[in-house]
Amino acid sequence: MDKCIEVKDLTKIFEARKVVDQLSFDVNVGEVYGILGHNGAGKTTTIESILGLNQPDCGYALIFGKNARNERKILFERIGVQLQVSYYQDNIKVIEVCEEIAALYQNPADYHQLLHQFQLDTFKNQYVDQLSGGEKQKLSLVIALIPQPEIIFLDELTTGLDVVARREVWNILKNLKEKGMTIVLTTHYMEEAQYLCDRILLLKQGKKVIEGTVNDIMQSGPYQNLEEAYLTLMEEKQ
Amino acid sequence: MKRFMTLLKIEQRLSLRCPDGLIFGIGMPVGVLLMIGLIAEQQTISQENYTFLQSAFASLITVGICATAFMGIPLTIANYRDKKILKHFFVTPMSPKLILCVQFCIGAIISILSALLVSICAIVIFHYQMEGSILYFILAYCLILVSMYSLGMIIASLCPNLKVANVVCTFVYFPMLFLSGATIPFEIFPQFIQNLAKVLPLTQGISLLKDISLGIYHQDMIYSIIYLLVMAIIGCIISLKTFQWE
Repeated sequence: MDKCIEVKDLTKIFEARKVVDQLSFDVNVGEVYGILGHNGAGKTTTIESILGLNQPDCGYALIFGKNARNERKILFERIGVQLQVSYYQDNIKVIEVCEEIAALYQNPADYHQLLHQFQLDTFKNQYVDQLSGGEKQKLSLVIALIPQPEIIFLDELTTGLDVVARREVWNILKNLKEKGMTIVLTTHYMEEAQYLCDRILLLKQGKKVIEGTVNDIMQSGPYQNLEEAYLTLMEEKQ
Repeated sequence: MKRFMTLLKIEQRLSLRCPDGLIFGIGMPVGVLLMIGLIAEQQTISQENYTFLQSAFASLITVGICATAFMGIPLTIANYRDKKILKHFFVTPMSPKLILCVQFCIGAIISILSALLVSICAIVIFHYQMEGSILYFILAYCLILVSMYSLGMIIASLCPNLKVANVVCTFVYFPMLFLSGATIPFEIFPQFIQNLAKVLPLTQGISLLKDISLGIYHQDMIYSIIYLLVMAIIGCIISLKTFQWE
């Protein structure tokens, strides 16, 4: 299979603490790849290193064989990103955020349609500040989809969403996956990982605990479900 | 171009929703002009043969430039950096050049509006008449604008957050505003402060504008022009090269 993301011996140190430690993995085209781990395990730092938002202290991360820091403009035409926390300009309206982001790409998606798909069209002329947490998360997904990306990075997208909204988002992601989009996500929900991910990476203190399909991981011990496997594997590492 | 125009339209709208730029950039120079005009319209400055109004006009026309160069542009960009909006832009095809150009144009629009309003007030209320060449005056104005903005963009590129930007801008903005003659007539300062203030690029710019507006042309002007030009070029290069996303 063709790999579109390659991470090799990636190490990132913040204030003498190794947040990501000699991490290596690949993501294949069309795959949904989930990064799981406790808070502070290094999930976000890993994603941000891949995206070029921080410079690794050791090792490298490539997207389509390119370093995101050096070839931002070309790469980000093909990549959609939802960062863990989204911030917007003061006093900006939903429609203005979308218009501004769409203007940055050569071939953007129709954001009116995306807003409609995510049931945000009634909020078009509302200020982003006035949206609820869930609505803001959906907006961040709309923004990540505007570039019509080949790869989308989702950092804890469904955190803070209610059960119904979470299911809606899952269905949308499942749809995107069927259309061949590569998805890299981080999550705290085992159910989500199980439902969406082709392969999972368990991270602990920046190190790889285990990597594989949900089945691989379940079969690595006498586990009833992914949550049990997760808890046990994370415990063992201690 | 479409990309630029869309961003300009939206960012301009956002800047108008927060009116402090308008107050400092447009309200203040017009207010000071009215005051100077009412107090000392036809008084001649001692030892010089022009009026306070003639002196104030060339200075006040640059206040809009100062307000946008040292408050508008750097504070907006530092605020975007602080709020992680630049981090969001990093993961799109947005370039530092585009961000800076858009903010440059937003500032320029406010500056020009301010200059127009100051001119209209001066002409209509106080019957101001420029003795020198209007074309040269406009060219010098543009040069000052580019040169001040390039300084503002360096601050915008380098300041890590809004707090630092605020402090730096205060230290640059207020001395320039008060010492260069943009608000307080330069002529009333003691000689040593005048000498000190001559180092400031805005002082050079205002003296250029003042001479042109009075129809005085002399050799020293070329030094002011070169000074401002060099400042503009260096500023643009540094700000683009050192732009920090986070």
